[in-house]
Amino acid sequence: MINMRFLFVFSALMSMFVHSALAGQRLTLTGSSTIAPLVLEIGKRFEQQNVGVRVDVQTGGSSRGISDARTGLADIGMVSRVLHESEADLKAHAIAVDGVSMVLHRDNNIDTLCNDQIRDIYTGKIRNWRELGGADQQITVVNKAEGRSTLELFLAYFGLRNSQIRASVVIGDNQQGIKTIAGNAGAIGYVSIGAAEFVEYEGAPIKRLRMNGIQASTAQVRAGSFPLSRPLNLVTAGEPDELAQRFIRFAQGPDVDDLIESQFFVPLEH
Amino acid sequence: MTERLFTLAVWMSAALVAVVLVWVIGDLVRLGIPHLSLDFLFAAPRDAGRNGGIGPILVSTVLIIGVTLTAALPLGLMAAVWLAEFTTRGHALGKAIRLSLDVMAGVPSIVFGLFGNAFFSIYLGMGFSILSGGLTLACMILPVFIRTCEVGLAAVTDTWRQGAAALGMTRTAAIWHVLLPAASPAIAAGMVLGIGRATAETAALIFTSGYVDRMPESLWDSGRSLAVHIYDLSMNISGGDTAADAAALVLITLIVLFNMLAQWLSDRWLHRRLVA
Repeated sequence: MINMRFLFVFSALMSMFVHSALAGQRLTLTGSSTIAPLVLEIGKRFEQQNVGVRVDVQTGGSSRGISDARTGLADIGMVSRVLHESEADLKAHAIAVDGVSMVLHRDNNIDTLCNDQIRDIYTGKIRNWRELGGADQQITVVNKAEGRSTLELFLAYFGLRNSQIRASVVIGDNQQGIKTIAGNAGAIGYVSIGAAEFVEYEGAPIKRLRMNGIQASTAQVRAGSFPLSRPLNLVTAGEPDELAQRFIRFAQGPDVDDLIESQFFVPLEH
Repeated sequence: MTERLFTLAVWMSAALVAVVLVWVIGDLVRLGIPHLSLDFLFAAPRDAGRNGGIGPILVSTVLIIGVTLTAALPLGLMAAVWLAEFTTRGHALGKAIRLSLDVMAGVPSIVFGLFGNAFFSIYLGMGFSILSGGLTLACMILPVFIRTCEVGLAAVTDTWRQGAAALGMTRTAAIWHVLLPAASPAIAAGMVLGIGRATAETAALIFTSGYVDRMPESLWDSGRSLAVHIYDLSMNISGGDTAADAAALVLITLIVLFNMLAQWLSDRWLHRRLVA
């Protein structure tokens, strides 16, 4: 006799294989791990307001966002920097701004470094904090991994090439950088200002360095006066289709300002 | 004197291993328990995972492991039977396959992730889905699973094979009713290793089953696994640490449960065959 229970379980399993894309419209976004958590939240709110639409967010870095938008694997790419000249085939839609801050361990008695000193530290000319008037302690240079847009922003601002950098530690995401610096009194690194500001309030032993005398804070980024800042972009290959366009407009609008702020980024002026 | 020192060293080493394990789990329990609740297990994540729960992520994780085991178990068992029972010591193809399995077992998981993304997600058109994540993991755990089962089968003494032949059993019947049940401890060990590795995997899944933390509706949906969620919370989300600790505690519990289940199933299913 055929076991009815087995048949039921089997058919339930088979129904899992049926493609659910038939059910409604789907929007896929891939790219920057900095933007992904924000867009995930924006996507949830968008889904609530547009019944039947699904927003799928995938991560992997800005380079991935660029290539997936080009190949069509994603409807929209997420890129946390200005587009290069070689990427003129893509259209950028900014949704928020982020600043990058130089970060030291809190116990480091250095409070300000000029751009040349930072350059010398990162190229390995200065290897001990003593040379800058600090404690006799080896400098741990924390750099970002290739393909990260924070790295590109940093290199462009200081006029460096990645091959010149003598890094002690190479990290991926912001939070990983913060943990590395918080756990090493001689470390120097650069991370997103919003993230650094937040963990500082939470009590992590790190501090942000002033840049050209300007305080590294989200307030300065919003005012547009902080030198090391970057746009958070949604990019599309050519004109986006109707659904993608609607999503981009929603992400740029005032309805998601609270979401942008809760991820420690700075909303655009509306 | 040397005798004493040696005994001491052996005891100390064992104690050290136990202490490390207790330390890790103790830390997770201490940090994770305050955030843990029934609501945490069932609710959807909110605010990038800082608040809310891990309901959809648990479901995705279980589905991914389900796909992995459905694909890897039959394929792995049959490959192990072929290697152990159908090849002789000097068999050239057998040697080549064993070598390639051993090489594959040492390949870093990110390589499987990139392969899975290129083959399952893009070439076979599965996109970011639980199916492509589960199949990628199946590729990843197959080498260790096959080799463990093969060693288990090879360890069954030849008198059992001769006995089966003397009773007039066919080769298939002998394998099914005598050899596989006798090798069941090794098969269970292979499953435990595979499940452990699959549940703890992030690199192979980020580009295959993906990052979406919505409740999956089918195997074609992208679904975030628990390990990916923990990695994202602790490495990418500021202020995600407490939620990450709680999720890690759930992950460890899940692995223990899966292992007990695998042990129980293999005991029941294979042992009954041997006795009946």
